[in-house]
Amino acid sequence: MRDVYVIGVGITSFTRLEFPLSEIAAYPVMMALKDAGIKEVDHLYVANMGSGRVNHQTGLASAVVDTLSLTPAGAEVVENGPASGASAVKTGFMAVASGVHDVVAVTGVERMREVNSLEATEFVATLTHPLGEYIYGVTLPSLAGMFTRLYMEKYGVTSRHLAMVAVKNQDNALLNEFAHIQQKITVEGILDSPEAMTNNPFVADPLRFFDCCPVSDGGASVILATREVAEKLGKPLVKLAGVGQATDTHCVSEREEPTDLLAVRRAAAQSFEMAGVTPADVDVAELHDAFTILEIVESEEVGFFKKGEGHLALERGETQIGGKLPINPSGGLKGRGHPVGATGVAQAYEIVLQLRGEAGKRQVDSPKVGFTCNFGGFGNNVVCLTFTREN
Amino acid sequence: MARDIYAYRCRKCGHLHYPYRMVCANCGENEHNEFDPEALPKTGTLLAFTRLYALPGDFDVPTLGLGIVELENGIRVTGQLDIDEPAAGMKVKGSVEVVRQEEYEKYYGMIFSQA
Ligand SMILES: [Zn+2]
Repeated sequence: MRDVYVIGVGITSFTRLEFPLSEIAAYPVMMALKDAGIKEVDHLYVANMGSGRVNHQTGLASAVVDTLSLTPAGAEVVENGPASGASAVKTGFMAVASGVHDVVAVTGVERMREVNSLEATEFVATLTHPLGEYIYGVTLPSLAGMFTRLYMEKYGVTSRHLAMVAVKNQDNALLNEFAHIQQKITVEGILDSPEAMTNNPFVADPLRFFDCCPVSDGGASVILATREVAEKLGKPLVKLAGVGQATDTHCVSEREEPTDLLAVRRAAAQSFEMAGVTPADVDVAELHDAFTILEIVESEEVGFFKKGEGHLALERGETQIGGKLPINPSGGLKGRGHPVGATGVAQAYEIVLQLRGEAGKRQVDSPKVGFTCNFGGFGNNVVCLTFTREN
Repeated sequence: MARDIYAYRCRKCGHLHYPYRMVCANCGENEHNEFDPEALPKTGTLLAFTRLYALPGDFDVPTLGLGIVELENGIRVTGQLDIDEPAAGMKVKGSVEVVRQEEYEKYYGMIFSQA
């Protein structure tokens, strides 16, 4: 297997974007190619979940490769629900590692604001089990709500802990010009103030509005290449050192221990093993906080903290940008936004900036190892990536 | 006549699956149609629950109770809750009713109330 390096990155603003879907996908590739200092790639992977349903456009990869005038390079869409982004990065990794291609572009894109937010939630809900979950009106927030209550009862997590995740990630997003949410909030303001019941209503109790990520449009891209190509470009060398992926039961109800996220645990372990590092080596991480509870639980399942102690590390400030292990310096899904197909690539974008030392106001102190967790379904398909800085 | 929801028992090893699978999760049996349908019991214990305030378009109600119930045979199912104040460990009984109505189609599933 050949070593694989990230030689270029690009991103769009995450917000409501009034551009055609293929342009939202193509723009970050243009930025990433410029960043790398190259003009051509052997292949293009487009991560996307809903173009056929939400945007009435299929065959998206053919549209994007043509928009970029990269024809006749091969191109295809990688769809793996909200983990499509990291799945596409992993697919690009395999193409380069295997020797099939030397340079590939990966772009993740979603344009969800073309429909209203209920339709967007309904579109994401179609990834639940058709007969075991979907017909009942189950949505991702409802699965997260049930999960959150179990976690609170078992481990002593409270609404204040959840609010602390929201506050931290929205604070981080204020340092990220591409982040969707640019709003300072406080724990008191969203939980205790007289306005809390109206500005922070229940979505799926005990989860409230500020526990859920926004519905966003956006795109993000990375260019992957061999060491030989990467070395010629004269940039800091960032290696995609480990990839891991695992699945779990489609119906959440079937899981033996309903507060475990086994696919997260397994995908992370694979990714660390391939990279030859341990969770303790990680200096900065982007976790999939589609719901605030998930940042806490993933921080435990990937091995940063003991099971049931993630909220204690949060309380101690360890996961803030100046802390021992900064989590979601970009703002995470909560602050940066969650265009589902783009998220996994945007996580990789952030880690590459951090490892290069190019993250500006939100730069973590000289990180060497970075990690991402992209969570598909309600934990039924999870992809984790480990990055290391060389030279 | 009361309707039922079915689980599927592997003819080779006896493992009971809900929802349906084409290959046995326990023994790997993969001959087609080697599963016998078996009606799920209707009573059990409430394990997890939520009240959903942002509902999919097909639902013409302000909020929807949802939960995961462990039935008396150990199978866990998701269902709707018709319970004002649900609590973990509550004994519940289900009936199979229309749980979702789309323009041209009705879907039947389990709705639980306090036993
Ligand atoms: Zn069997």
